[in-house]
Amino acid sequence: MSNPDGADRSISAEALRRDFGQLHAVDGVDLEIPGGQIFGFLGPNGAGKSTLVRILTTILNATSGRATVAGYDVARQGGKVREAIGVALQDVGLDPLMTARELLMLQTQLFGTPRDEARKTAERLLVTVGLDDVDPKKRAGAYSGGMKRRLDLALALVHDPRILFLDEPTTGLDPASRMAIWEEVRRLNDDFGMTIFLTTQYLEEADRLADQVAIISKGRIVAQGTPGDLKREVGSEVVELQFGSREDAGRAYDAVARVAPERQAANRELRLYFGRAAENVPELVRALDGAGIRLQGLTIEQPSLDDVFLRVTGEALEHEVDEGADDVPAGAEVRS
Amino acid sequence: MNDTLLLIGRSLRNTLREPATVLPNIAISVFFLFVYNSGLSSVAELPGFQGTYLGFILPVAIVSAAVGGAGLAGQTLIKDIDNGYFTKLLLTPTRRLSVIWGPMIASAIVLTAQVVLVMLIALALGLKVAAGPAGFALVVVLAFLWGMAFAGYAAFMALKTKNAAAAQAATFAFFPLIFLSYTFVPKEYVTAGWLKVAATINPTTYVFDSMRSLLNTGWDWKAITVGLLVTFGFATVTGIMALWAARGATKMS
Repeated sequence: MSNPDGADRSISAEALRRDFGQLHAVDGVDLEIPGGQIFGFLGPNGAGKSTLVRILTTILNATSGRATVAGYDVARQGGKVREAIGVALQDVGLDPLMTARELLMLQTQLFGTPRDEARKTAERLLVTVGLDDVDPKKRAGAYSGGMKRRLDLALALVHDPRILFLDEPTTGLDPASRMAIWEEVRRLNDDFGMTIFLTTQYLEEADRLADQVAIISKGRIVAQGTPGDLKREVGSEVVELQFGSREDAGRAYDAVARVAPERQAANRELRLYFGRAAENVPELVRALDGAGIRLQGLTIEQPSLDDVFLRVTGEALEHEVDEGADDVPAGAEVRS
Repeated sequence: MNDTLLLIGRSLRNTLREPATVLPNIAISVFFLFVYNSGLSSVAELPGFQGTYLGFILPVAIVSAAVGGAGLAGQTLIKDIDNGYFTKLLLTPTRRLSVIWGPMIASAIVLTAQVVLVMLIALALGLKVAAGPAGFALVVVLAFLWGMAFAGYAAFMALKTKNAAAAQAATFAFFPLIFLSYTFVPKEYVTAGWLKVAATINPTTYVFDSMRSLLNTGWDWKAITVGLLVTFGFATVTGIMALWAARGATKMS
């Protein structure tokens, strides 16, 4: 992380709020993000991530509260904010009739760069996002989903922004494209000290990339810190117990209460949090035996951001579908 | 200003890439010209008719080209909003208005080109413009202003509904205006009282009058002034409506 020119790369928000009718999409968000960080904003669909991004990038007015980006007020100094930021929204914004070069050149020129220089910028960015060997006559409308995403990212970079907003940059991408985006995000942060504000519904993405993570649920920030700190708060080791049915898991939840006061149930699994897991396993097994509950599996692992998420929101973020299980939607029936 | 030029250029290039968006409109105008000119030209033999029937019916073809072409402005905006490019443009430091002016001015240019084309066809059919080359130019100016008035209306509907079908339907709703007037025969030969009332309140009537005087009789300053005032007033009203809708659309999306 470096700050090559001493320019303001920070983002802050104070009691930011946006209502859509009765819905509080963003419900009193405070943020203090120093320059040069990769900040991961984690939350399920509909948690308010995109609304917050739209406010911070000046394309949506807040109902109340205030926010500054790069030191400028988003409501009153929108033009200044836009000069400092690059934005790639969840839905790519490409004119399907234009070619990649035309889109890049127009975008660059709209940021005030003369034509000849814009042409060079376009060529350079096509190399950056790996689209330089695509047929130059091919229009954006004919691009694949992954290519569109990369082109959209290139459009966000035409003016060497100090702060980059990426709204779910890898949602719907194949693993290889996802890795490519991650590498690019790292590089932009390392090489240019660019602050990166990234929203995601993937825990792994936040864990791998972000210096700081905030978890948003129903328009509110419910936890914030480094991924390590957040995980440590949950416990240092996790024992996961798997059962044959949800009823068994429910009974086990009560049966192990004395051994494992810190625990969460999700569907047919229990997750128990310990300082040292191994020491407690024999007693756990005895407790389950005593209650006549059949255990199907037991694993010891490090806490993940999923545990943090489960704890602060009472909902599982990603639901792994068990084969043969009745289809349980993410976040269904969780006790803790 | 530079940004607006860039955005106009982009819209014009897109139009050339999708000629199907303008061809039907040109075809309809030319259809009016040929069918009514050959089918109704005996109207010109009625006592008291001044000039040629070609000069009389040409404004109908011109106004229909202008109204149809204006819809293009709304369509372009809706496409931009739908595919997210509108937002991408709003994320640049460009003035908000340029993002809306670009497609609107581009469609006005396309519309003017269509009008000139229709008029050139009329010249080839033997039209003699009574008011001369300057009169010809003034007809183009009137058509341009009338087109801008509809472009403003189309942009207003596009930005308000953000729905291509609704905006398209709204433009079509204005097509009857062309016919609720002294469209095919001069005023003196219309007997239906209701049509006279409709024609009197219909602003299109005054556009027809001013164009017809230029084409068929010469510089009738009264008709021209009224025509210019009506078009200018109409364009101002819809322009303000479009700006008002634009303020909302650039923040509320």
